[in-house]
Amino acid sequence: MANLRIASAQRGAKITIVVNGRSCEAFKGETVHAALLAAGRRVLRKTVKSGQPRGIFCGMGVCYDCLVTINGVPNQRACMTLVEDWMEISVDE
Amino acid sequence: MSRRYHVIIVGSGLAGMAAADLLSRHGLSVLMVDENAQIGGQLLRKPIYACSPYRRLEPDCQKRWGMQLAQKLKKNRVCFLSGVQVLGIYPGPTLLVEQAGGYAAEYCADAMILATGARERHLPFKGWMLPGVMATGAAQILIKNSGILPGRRTLIGGCSPLMFALAAEILANGGKIMAVFDQSKAAKKLNAVTAGLAIWPKLFEGAIYLMRMAAARVPIKQGVRIVEARGRQELEAVVAARVDTNGCIIQGSEKIYPTDTLAVGYGFSPNIELPQQAGCSVSYSVDKGGWYVDVDAFMATTVKDIYAVGETTGIAGAGKSFIEGYMAAWNILYRQGGVNREDFEKHIRPLMRQHDRQVQYGGFINQLCRLEPACYTGIPDETVICRCEEVTMGEIRRQLENGFSTMNGIKKATRCGMGNCQGRTCGPILFDIISAFTKRPPESIGYTSARSPVKTVSLGALGQITLSSSDANEYRSQG
Repeated sequence: MANLRIASAQRGAKITIVVNGRSCEAFKGETVHAALLAAGRRVLRKTVKSGQPRGIFCGMGVCYDCLVTINGVPNQRACMTLVEDWMEISVDE
Repeated sequence: MSRRYHVIIVGSGLAGMAAADLLSRHGLSVLMVDENAQIGGQLLRKPIYACSPYRRLEPDCQKRWGMQLAQKLKKNRVCFLSGVQVLGIYPGPTLLVEQAGGYAAEYCADAMILATGARERHLPFKGWMLPGVMATGAAQILIKNSGILPGRRTLIGGCSPLMFALAAEILANGGKIMAVFDQSKAAKKLNAVTAGLAIWPKLFEGAIYLMRMAAARVPIKQGVRIVEARGRQELEAVVAARVDTNGCIIQGSEKIYPTDTLAVGYGFSPNIELPQQAGCSVSYSVDKGGWYVDVDAFMATTVKDIYAVGETTGIAGAGKSFIEGYMAAWNILYRQGGVNREDFEKHIRPLMRQHDRQVQYGGFINQLCRLEPACYTGIPDETVICRCEEVTMGEIRRQLENGFSTMNGIKKATRCGMGNCQGRTCGPILFDIISAFTKRPPESIGYTSARSPVKTVSLGALGQITLSSSDANEYRSQG
């Protein structure tokens, strides 16, 4: 899997996030949706009606497609939430 | 208990910041609220941990001004509340919000400026919901805010000036681009010469983007439309075809492009939801990017003490946003007695002249992004139109044939626009579909009503709200 993180970009400290029980790296200052994309997680949820996979679409909090569960709270927009150390994220699989 | 300010500004993009700058310099107390974590709106997105506001030599002069402005506002005493969801505006005017952490709060002001910006428009195609297909803005935001490329080798498509800015951004950050497919034809762009002086800085910027793409040997094709996104759980390949002058796909010209990342954009649409909820009148114009908030020459809406500025009053980019922010601020200062008539006129006149040029530029850009009716009438039945409620083109076609011909009618008959995004994504598309099929005038097709809460709110926050305004229950929206 290619590394999507831009080497020259300014990031905060390296932290750990837990995605569906598995730990992976993230950096302070990244949004949840960006960290998940960098970790290779592109499917974020399955739709209620037909179970279709959805991921990042508008990236700016408008479309509500990137909904994930964060620290037990469901339906959080991944693109509007910043990662935090040991944040627990659940995505539909 | 509510807190009071002279002016509350919703939206901290260029328009909101310009107004905040001028008002605070004249000693008014200003509160700016924004849903995002950082000040600056869409254009000025940058990493939180950026040590310098200037990432590299920025060809976009408006971005440079914006960054300087953001720095200045930090020094002035402008209160900035980030991570805020606005529920609605009530008599006062009073702003009701849910703040980060789930707390409801009420803020009052003598005047409010709505600078709620814009969002991207889309043209649905089969499979556009697949993970891996994202808006051009989404790809830009990943790079600008989080320093992450949208994909290994991105295919860019649609009909939007943002496509070329994104391509340049990806290349500048060491990413790869498969190709850029511009749905519009080259001939349309030659109309640039009629757009007047306002276009030249943008042409210069555009030329720089094109040079970077040429240097990286990125194929750019005109008159090519995205037809389908294919994949099982994620994007695996894109089908694109050539189009004729009506936007119709030329049969037999379809080609398959294996890729896992597609960024698409089709222009922008003003965010009118909060102004609508506040009772402001809206109108429709292709030159302004669709439905926009009606304002007079000095940015006043049809609701007393409420002003609207920036993309909300018509898509035209950063220049118009800056100017309108300053114009609204001068108007408020004059009305509140902060400046006399002579001073007001001295400052407003040059702004009005620049404003005309920027509006003209906006008209050109919006006409360029305009899609022919055949683009909508030709959408296959199985294509999803409302992403939230999974309403297909077939269901909408059926209700159009049943005689429904207004936005509210189709919304009620199909649930299109009733999901989480409340029609922000599908609304402009649905309007264009109805318009293409029925050919009715915009006012009779109408737009969907916007009611509180304008953005999603938690039940916990809702439970905390008791409006101090005694006549809040009698508040009625206009139109």
